[in-house]
Amino acid sequence: MSHSTSHQAGSNLKMGLPIPNSKLGMWLFLGTEIMFFTAFIGSYIVLRMGSQGWPSDPHVTHINVFLGGTNTFVLIVSSYCVVVAHESMSKKNFKRALKFLWVTTCLGFVFMGIKSVEYYGKISHRILPGMIAENDWQATQMAMDDFDHAVEKTGYSDMKLELGDLQKELAAAEEDDKASIETRIEELQKSIAAIDPFANAVKRFKAEAKKEQMEYDLQSGEEELIASQVEGDSELNFEPLSLTGSVQALKGKYPDYASHVHEPHVILYGNIFASTYFLMTGFHAIHVIVGLILFAFVLKQGAKLDETWTDWVENSGLYWHFVDLVWIFLFPLLYIVDFT
Amino acid sequence: MAYRDTGHEDHSHGHVSYIAVFFALCIFTGLSVLADVIHLPNTAVKTVIVMAIAVAKATCVMLFFMHLKFEGNWKYILLAPTTILAIGLPIALMPDVATSYYISDVPQKYDYEEFMAVHGHHEGEAHAEGDHHAGDAHEEGEHEHTEGDDHNSHEGEEHEEHGGTEAAESSEE
Repeated sequence: MSHSTSHQAGSNLKMGLPIPNSKLGMWLFLGTEIMFFTAFIGSYIVLRMGSQGWPSDPHVTHINVFLGGTNTFVLIVSSYCVVVAHESMSKKNFKRALKFLWVTTCLGFVFMGIKSVEYYGKISHRILPGMIAENDWQATQMAMDDFDHAVEKTGYSDMKLELGDLQKELAAAEEDDKASIETRIEELQKSIAAIDPFANAVKRFKAEAKKEQMEYDLQSGEEELIASQVEGDSELNFEPLSLTGSVQALKGKYPDYASHVHEPHVILYGNIFASTYFLMTGFHAIHVIVGLILFAFVLKQGAKLDETWTDWVENSGLYWHFVDLVWIFLFPLLYIVDFT
Repeated sequence: MAYRDTGHEDHSHGHVSYIAVFFALCIFTGLSVLADVIHLPNTAVKTVIVMAIAVAKATCVMLFFMHLKFEGNWKYILLAPTTILAIGLPIALMPDVATSYYISDVPQKYDYEEFMAVHGHHEGEAHAEGDHHAGDAHEEGEHEHTEGDDHNSHEGEEHEEHGGTEAAESSEE
């Protein structure tokens, strides 16, 4: 670098921008990234504003402003650390740069951890695109299927089949085999008898639920709809409550078999909410992972880190700030705002 | 490396106190959360406040952390077209999807009308109801038991008593 003045004179005649090619490349890439994320965020805003009744209750959406706020804070701290790391690289204080990049990387993992907690909460409440009931008919269907699964999981129908087979076998069996078959039959009968009340309760529930579904079908006829609007028909909210009630009753009565059954929920626009939520936060999370990979290359250098990595740190830093930038907008848009 | 001599290094640490920017960003974040937690009576005000804060934060990050304040004029050539094109998409969709005079004819529309007819006249009420509990909702996965009994768009017995008088108002919506 001792001949920097002569070099500078030469480079003044050069075409191009006075920045490293890699930095120009990164900025061009960030330009495409702006379009990429604005497409998602813009679609989300437009869809949300166009959907009256979009879910905004945190109890329904499992959106938690404190977790989101913490994640915002985490990313801001990490951004600050990247800036300090880059500054240290420029001042050739590589040890300090490394230290701050380690902090950044750790904060990246903290962000992903908090994000995982949030995702887990949504997945465990079945806030998933395409899985959310948006009307009473669908909620009823979901509850019926869930209870079917619960019965299936106990092995009830398999045991019944086996019992039937054994009873046939018993008639044809020879004297000395009979004893063992009989004990097996007794075992099966005992287990089946234990599950019987639950299976029968589910059967009754399904019969009732089917009837309700038929009523919903009728109600969705145009005339009934208008009639109900005019009268403010209170019948309409009686039925979903009775569905929730009977599901809760079944769960309470047979906790051994039905504890994992989801209580039916109707979330208007829940599916498009979940789609946009997972699309935006998912792509953002992928960007965080890519950023962590970029930093990993620097961290791998350890004590060998030198000024040849300065541009790398600057460019991955720019990328990381962009990831922070996206989150700065996602946080209020997903966790706070209310377009009514 | 040769390019580094051309002067961008001088810019890369302009006289910015990064720690001051950092604290500003933290305070902004705190204000955003505060705006949500204090339950402003008007959700539009809340939306404007938090979006303004987001823009301020984004500006801080871009100007100082990303050094755009100290870069040459190439930054405009590089970023203005993509930004304008990107913003064009939501603006183009806005009149058709978001701010259309007519409500899109989707099945949810009728469910929403039903819900409004039964449960009361304006969304603000339903949302405020949920917001009272925002403070308790700290743990994502831990309040399953509170789920079934309230806040569902089709439930909410607590609103039932409003039903009669407000049904008439809401049917105009």
